[in-house]
Amino acid sequence: MATETSGEDATREEDVTIRERDKDEIFAAMREAIENYDSDAATEAAKQAVESGIDLLEAVEKGFAGPIRRLGEAFDRMEIFLPQLMLGSDAMKAGMTVLEEAITAGGGKIQSKGTVVIGTVEGDIHDIGKTVVAALLQANGYAVQDLGVEVPASRFIEAAGSQKADIIAMSALLSTTMLYQRDVVELLGNKGLKDKYFTLVGGAPVTQAWADEIGADGYARGAYEAVQLLDSKKEAWTE
Amino acid sequence: MNFKEIAKRGETGPLTEANDFLMKRVSANVLKLEKKYEITWDGKTLINLDDEMADRCWQAGRELLLSSGIFSMNSKRIIELSAEEIDEALRFAPAQLPMGQGKDVVRAYHRQVEDARKPFIFSGPFNADASEEHFVKLNEAFAQERLIDSLLFPGYLKKLDGQMIRPTSGLASRAAMLYGQWSREAVRRAGRPGMPITAHAVMALNEIACTNEQWGLRSTDPRAMVLISELQVDDVTMTRLAYYLAYGCPIYVAFTPLIGGYGGGPAGTAIAAAASFIAAAVLGGEIVHIGPQHIKFKQQTNQHSLFLASLVNQAVARNSSIIATTSHTTSGRPGSEQYAREFSALALTAVTSGSNVTGPRPAEPLGFNNVSPLMARLFAEVSHAAAGMKRGEAAEIVAKLYQSYKDKLDLEQAPKGQAFEQLYDLQTLRPTAEHQALYDRLKEELAGLGLPM
Repeated sequence: MATETSGEDATREEDVTIRERDKDEIFAAMREAIENYDSDAATEAAKQAVESGIDLLEAVEKGFAGPIRRLGEAFDRMEIFLPQLMLGSDAMKAGMTVLEEAITAGGGKIQSKGTVVIGTVEGDIHDIGKTVVAALLQANGYAVQDLGVEVPASRFIEAAGSQKADIIAMSALLSTTMLYQRDVVELLGNKGLKDKYFTLVGGAPVTQAWADEIGADGYARGAYEAVQLLDSKKEAWTE
Repeated sequence: MNFKEIAKRGETGPLTEANDFLMKRVSANVLKLEKKYEITWDGKTLINLDDEMADRCWQAGRELLLSSGIFSMNSKRIIELSAEEIDEALRFAPAQLPMGQGKDVVRAYHRQVEDARKPFIFSGPFNADASEEHFVKLNEAFAQERLIDSLLFPGYLKKLDGQMIRPTSGLASRAAMLYGQWSREAVRRAGRPGMPITAHAVMALNEIACTNEQWGLRSTDPRAMVLISELQVDDVTMTRLAYYLAYGCPIYVAFTPLIGGYGGGPAGTAIAAAASFIAAAVLGGEIVHIGPQHIKFKQQTNQHSLFLASLVNQAVARNSSIIATTSHTTSGRPGSEQYAREFSALALTAVTSGSNVTGPRPAEPLGFNNVSPLMARLFAEVSHAAAGMKRGEAAEIVAKLYQSYKDKLDLEQAPKGQAFEQLYDLQTLRPTAEHQALYDRLKEELAGLGLPM
């Protein structure tokens, strides 16, 4: 049965339809920006989302979250490679900066799964393994601060403090440098901060036995395992 | 190009961030060159049979180096090279290189695709963690294998006097001295006092500590340094290079292109690998070692690595005089059948593609002494048997071997194997009966697959 509507109602319905259409277009633009690894387009789409007055948390979920998850999955299947993963991750970061600013200004907050400071330990210049873990964590909803390579123990701890981090992730690619993972954990203990952070270790020569020996909270043998492990432990810092 | 000029450009070249070098130069250029030179992988080929693609891969690699340069990680400067400088370095790359002393002198050669000459065998503990108590015996057991031409990376002394070694400590210098001394002692005990020992100290500074013409590493021993993926050097690498050049030892340059990394898939990474071969020659490398890494797997016998090793080694063999050698890292451990099947698949691929061979060794993480000299013998025998084989014949055997282990590449699924002290009688330095039986069985199996053992 047809419903009679006044002219005003019809205009309102039309407005709602237009807003819905705008919203869909903005979400599509956000998705495309990630799929095209385009930071500028992601920033632009995020600005449109802010200006249109739509629910920004919905924009995060329907715009950026899906494609970045899919990028992570495609990377795991080796359909895309590190450069694409990093570009996609950078695009999302660019767009999220705009959204976060607006959400925070409105008194809201984007709930990340946790804040991670990550780096390759002192004396070790190997970057790629740590970079993959950082990109995948970011793609999976973690806020990530990448400290780079040759990071001294004290720097991990300072950065964790200043970033209000939940997790300290340490990579070591050499038998010779994994010793410095121990130093980070030990220094945390000395400063009475051991329970404040979840400490995660990884890298080619690193094992669960080594993690146990030095008192690290977790060990991941690859980037995906790192995401899975942190996902499984996140009650420890999100309670 | 001399060292002074390289070092100068490392201090004065264009300043940039590492990420920009890797993304805007290396990755972006690889993508363009992959299309321009039509370098492709069909998703199934294990050994490349397309000579024209090998030649195109070489051209693409040369162009990648020319357009990207080499990044100096500490100074954040790009060492840019001209076409003339690249070509000059290639013209002077030695096609053969003697090493060792006295009656133990051996010579490594540049090899051709399907070359009938036997490949040079670099083998030893290959930087596996070695325990202080078994260090000399472990290396002696490798050195007594006559098919091994050069003892390779005599093992990393992770602990000394019960203490884990911090790489920049005084203890690390003491470990470096013992590393040189005990390696020399091992080859002497094996009756090959002049056998070349391919080695490097953990820290560049300690290269001096392990050098001694009487009791340590000599000027006739190849010394190693490693380029960082992709096309990067750091101060440690350049410090080693300066010392090696001044000391006059053969220079062994390794690089580890990452499949799934900044070069993309196997085809793109092969271009990055060709560029790295040339970069190694420009830096003065006289033996150039490729050890492909993989974003998912920790070993070098997966199908991507097999294809890459075949394509880029053929590119090098057909277009330069570089003495190439290929690293063999496996998922299976010594004491398992899978270990031998994996290194045999890669040895067949590398040798028929014009490379010499380095290895084998299981992938990290490893326990102490997790290597087997007897398996090194089998590795050498397989590599010698592959000399003169056609790539097509080799590919058929490689396909069968690959089928046998492809579902157990993940280290969790791969057999764990045993350490040297479980596989050998430490008094006689002979393999246990069980380990010998495994060797006999594997040798028969490989012969049954058509390898002329």
